[in-house]
Formats: sequence, C-alpha cells, structure tokens
Amino acid sequence: MITDKYIAKIEGHGSLETDFSKSQVKLHIHEGERLFEGLLVGRTIEESHWITPRICGVCPIAHNLASLRACEDGLKIEISETTELLRELMVCAQMMQSHALHLFFLSLPDYLGIDRGTELAQKNPKDFKAALDIKEVSDDIAAVVAGRNVHPTTTTIGGFHKIPTREQLEKLLQKIKQTRASAGRALNICSKIKFPELKVDLELVTQKKEKILSNKNDPSTPLRVNPSIKNYKEVITEEIRNYSTAKFGGYKGREIMVGALARLYFSDHKEKEILDFQNPFHNNIAQAIEILLYHKQAGKILEQLLASKSDFDGTSKSDFDVYASEGIGAIEAPRGGLYHELRWNNKGIITYANIITPTVQNLTSIEKSANALLEQNKEKTQKEKERLLEMLVRAYDPCITCSVH
Amino acid sequence: MGLKPKVAIYDFTDCEGCEVEIISLRERFLDLEKQVDIVDWRLGQERKSFDSAQDKYFDIALIEGAPITQDEIDTLKWLRENSQYVIALGACAALAGIPGIMDQEKRAGWYKKIYPSTSSGQVYKPKGIDALPLSAYVKVDFAIHGCPVNAGELERIFEELLAGKKPSYRPYSVCFDCKRAGNECRIINKKICLGPITQGGCQAICISGGSPCYGCFGPREEANVEGLKQALKKFADEEEIKRYFTMFYNKNEK
Repeated sequence: MITDKYIAKIEGHGSLETDFSKSQVKLHIHEGERLFEGLLVGRTIEESHWITPRICGVCPIAHNLASLRACEDGLKIEISETTELLRELMVCAQMMQSHALHLFFLSLPDYLGIDRGTELAQKNPKDFKAALDIKEVSDDIAAVVAGRNVHPTTTTIGGFHKIPTREQLEKLLQKIKQTRASAGRALNICSKIKFPELKVDLELVTQKKEKILSNKNDPSTPLRVNPSIKNYKEVITEEIRNYSTAKFGGYKGREIMVGALARLYFSDHKEKEILDFQNPFHNNIAQAIEILLYHKQAGKILEQLLASKSDFDGTSKSDFDVYASEGIGAIEAPRGGLYHELRWNNKGIITYANIITPTVQNLTSIEKSANALLEQNKEKTQKEKERLLEMLVRAYDPCITCSVH
Repeated sequence: MGLKPKVAIYDFTDCEGCEVEIISLRERFLDLEKQVDIVDWRLGQERKSFDSAQDKYFDIALIEGAPITQDEIDTLKWLRENSQYVIALGACAALAGIPGIMDQEKRAGWYKKIYPSTSSGQVYKPKGIDALPLSAYVKVDFAIHGCPVNAGELERIFEELLAGKKPSYRPYSVCFDCKRAGNECRIINKKICLGPITQGGCQAICISGGSPCYGCFGPREEANVEGLKQALKKFADEEEIKRYFTMFYNKNEK
C-alpha cells in the first residue's frame, strides 16, 4: 500500500531503513523542502515572526518568539517587563501544549495498549480528562496571550499589539488552579509506565543563560566559559545526508540529544531524580515533569502579572527605528534549542536567514540510540525490534516538519 | 455514504497546524469522531483499514499540506481515485499557503544555498518540485480554509458533510467578521488589508490580534481584486502590496 511506509504518530514523514545484521539504522526524512530560509528573503522583519511559526503547527510560539528576539537583538530593543512576562507565559503554554499532544496522542498510546489517543477516553476516562485539561488550559493561555492557540496574532517586534485584560488573566489563573491536579496526574501516569530499558551514552545539550551547555563538557567549567549562543554556528553544526531532506545536526559534529530530558539534566528540580539520563525513552517522563513545572510557572507568572500595577488594557510595545542590522534569536522550544538568525537592510527587508531547529539536532542521536537499541536487544525477534525502534523514535518526539523547514 | 462515513486524514508538506486544530477541538472532536470511521490517519493512529470490497476506500479524504514531492503528488492522485470527496484542509492544501511563497524558478538557487555540498563532495539531491495547491493536480470538492483552519468552521463544515449536504462557503468577506469583532478598519487607517477580497468565517482573528490580514481564507467569489489594489495604491507602494498578495496568493493570483 502506497501509504504504509511512514512511521505513524510522529510529526511529519520519516521511515527507518534497518540493517538488522549490522545493527545499523538510518532515519529517512521525506518531507518536502519549503525553503523557509529562502522565502524569508525579501520579506520584512515584521513579517518574519508571522511566517516562521508556520514552520511548525506544534511549536509555533517558539518560532514566533525566536524571530522576534532575532529582530530585537539586531535593533537593540529593550522590551518591557510586562512583555517579558507575557512571553514567558506563552512559553509555558507552548511547552504544555506540545508535550501534552506528544504524550497523549503520539507516544503514550504505545504503552497504554491503545492506538488512537482518544481511545483513552473509554479505557481510562480520568486520565483522558487530565490530558484534555492540560490541552485546554494551555490552548486558552495561548489564545488569550498570543491571540490564537496555533500561530500567534498579537505579538510584534518590541512587544504586543494587544495585551490581555486583567479579567482575562484572572480567569486563566482560576483555570490553572483548577487543572493543577491534572498536570500532576500526567506525571503520575508517566512515572508508572515501565519504559524499555536502554543505555546510551547520551550527549545532552541545552541553552541556558545565553550559553550552550553540554554534559560532556567538564562540569566544573564555570557557566561563562561555555560557548555563547552568539557563536551557535560554530557549536551547532549541520550536514547533509543523501537519505534525508532534513540536515543532521550535532555539537561540533558529535551526536546530541536536546529537549526535555536535556533541559532537566541541567536544572535543579527535584522531580528529575526519577529520570535515567542515559535512557532516551525517559524523554517521555521528562516531558511529563515539564508539564507540571510549566503549569506551576504559568500560575506564578499570572500572579505576578496580576500583582503588578499595569492596567492591562491596550498594548505593551517599545518604539524603535529600523536600520540595517542582524540578530540572533534563540529559545528552548519544546523539543530543544532553536536558533533563528536574520539579517536585513535599512528598509527592514530580510536579506539572509538561517534557522536551526531542535529536531535537526536530535536526528543524529536518534540513529545512535537506534543502533544501541538493536545491539542491546539481539535476542528479540525482528518484529519486536521494529516495534521498539518506532517507540524509540516517538520517545524523541521528532518534529519532522520543523527539521525540514 | 454509509452510516458511518470512512474518513482518511492525510498531510503533505506543511506545518501540521491544521491537524493540531482538529485535536484542539477536544471534547467536540470526540463527538465528531463517533460519527465517522477514521480508517487512515498517520499522525493520529497506526490502524489502516481499507475495505477493498468497496468501490472507493474513503468517503472523505481530508488533505492537509501542499504536495511538493513526486511521492506526495502520486499519493494525492491515489487519494483522488479512492475517495468520494477530496477536501483540502487549510491554506497549504487549498492555496499552497506559506510554502507557495517560493517561486519554482528560484528553488534551484536556494537548494544550493540551504543545502551546500560537503567538502567530501556530497551533493544534495532535492526532492521538492514546486509548492502548489491540491487543485493543481486533482479535482478538489471543497476547501476548509485558514492558516490554520478555524475550529468553528471545521465543525460547521463537518456537520454539513455528515448531514449529507454539500458544504457551503460563507457568502461574505472578512470585513463582515471584522466589523462584528469591533475592529477599526485597517484600510481607512492606511494599512494594507486583504480582508475585502477574502472569504469570511475566520472571525477576523488576525486583525483582532493586531496583525494584518493576508487572505489565508482564500479569495471569495466575485472578489474585486483590481478594485482593492487600486484603493491600496493610494497609500502603499507596489512592492508592499505585492508582498501581501504573495503571502498566500503567490500561486493563485488570477
């Protein structure tokens, strides 16, 4: 059948070419090239954060904010505290939206004995209600703050065209309070699942405080001497492969894993104790932990916003002059470090764009872990191995449409 | 259509945001789901069940994305042959969307820049041909518009389909939605807007958020495109106007 070749329940079109005798896996990426770095050239900087969210419908807010940051970096624009808080709130929504979608609709069905995510509604209505609660509260935050649950409409260089009213924020805070138990439940579900055993010497990489950190760097190294995001191109490398329309990324050529598991490795949250940082399947649990953390964070930000004196009516925007410049906007997207670099002329017309997405960086690690999985499961039948390989790919939560942008 | 229409959901090259909108219907999606049999949906399930005894595998094929690669074009033709109704889901399928900004003749140059050959001599082999709407290759029975699609419209159109009716387009432009939303008129404020020529149903969500309208809902019937262009020329230069008309309409301009 013409449609059978792609891995189901991942974002975008990928397939595996597996040499079982050699324990060698190639992850083929089939998505058509949209050439975003080309189609941005000739557009205005104000259009960049309109266009780039369309790279990915699962993490549009991350692309929106990365483009805004690139422009603000180049034009030396200081954003207001309200803008900063509202954007942080958007990030909380984005993380919860994306992780909930991945866990409940793409990944967890592997472990819960269902196929389509909605089958959980019958099998375990309470768990499914928790999933819908998280989806609803995160979609609502995105809709109120960013203007829509997918593809923001309210954001602009320097701030917001339009900001929420106090009443809207109060309602969101109420909803956050009502759904805290559901966020906890998601973690509870995940921490009870027995994920397949796998031991991979993972290189975990994350952005933190303008730096790019790797667990392979000497842990005693002070934060400041880690490579700066400004030098991302020297650190996050990309190469072409003849079986993929996505480039394959790495940390100076080495295979790396980015995303929830890597972020938690570098965090101080006690919840991370249950994670095995050498097992990529634990990325699922890491996402569930992050759902709870970002849920709490959203509550805190809402309280902070409501405690401030702003009247929340109208806009939160800094004025700026356009001149020829260039800037880099980086952000931790749900799947890991995202980099947007833009250059523009004195009319604000984009002349150059470079985008490196998290999934591009994860592709090499997926192959490395897939090879390790075959090595460590030699006694299993080919069918079992195939199944495990697909589950492994899903655990990484690859966003193939992001990777082929 | 049988009692429970057989539905396939496919996606070609795009952001998959319209499928995200389907899932974002949440409880309402559960209701819709009960009324149909989703027999093939790569993003949502592994199950694929084709009843070969049937004349056509699918009553409804919902297709998201622009068919850019040969493989996608072939799949699209196969879907057309095997489906009663082919429905474009969202701007990429209906209009070529954002990927359609890229002109075909410029692709070769961008491939070289974006996928540079390696020092070891490896050269990238492009897969994409051109970003075109579904209708460039097959007959499309209906389009659910938007970038992304609007949840309310999605529900309305599905209900019409399930009631056995041919779904209808909104007989008004975005201006109607925009007035109802209480927005100031962008054109009166000397800001470019494609709302007047664009089909309504979006609730003017972008303009309400402060963003422009680039016309993702597609041109409405008998839209006076030339008239709008003339009006816009009074305050905007040609380059600027062209940028608006090439956001979603690059492959559709009449």
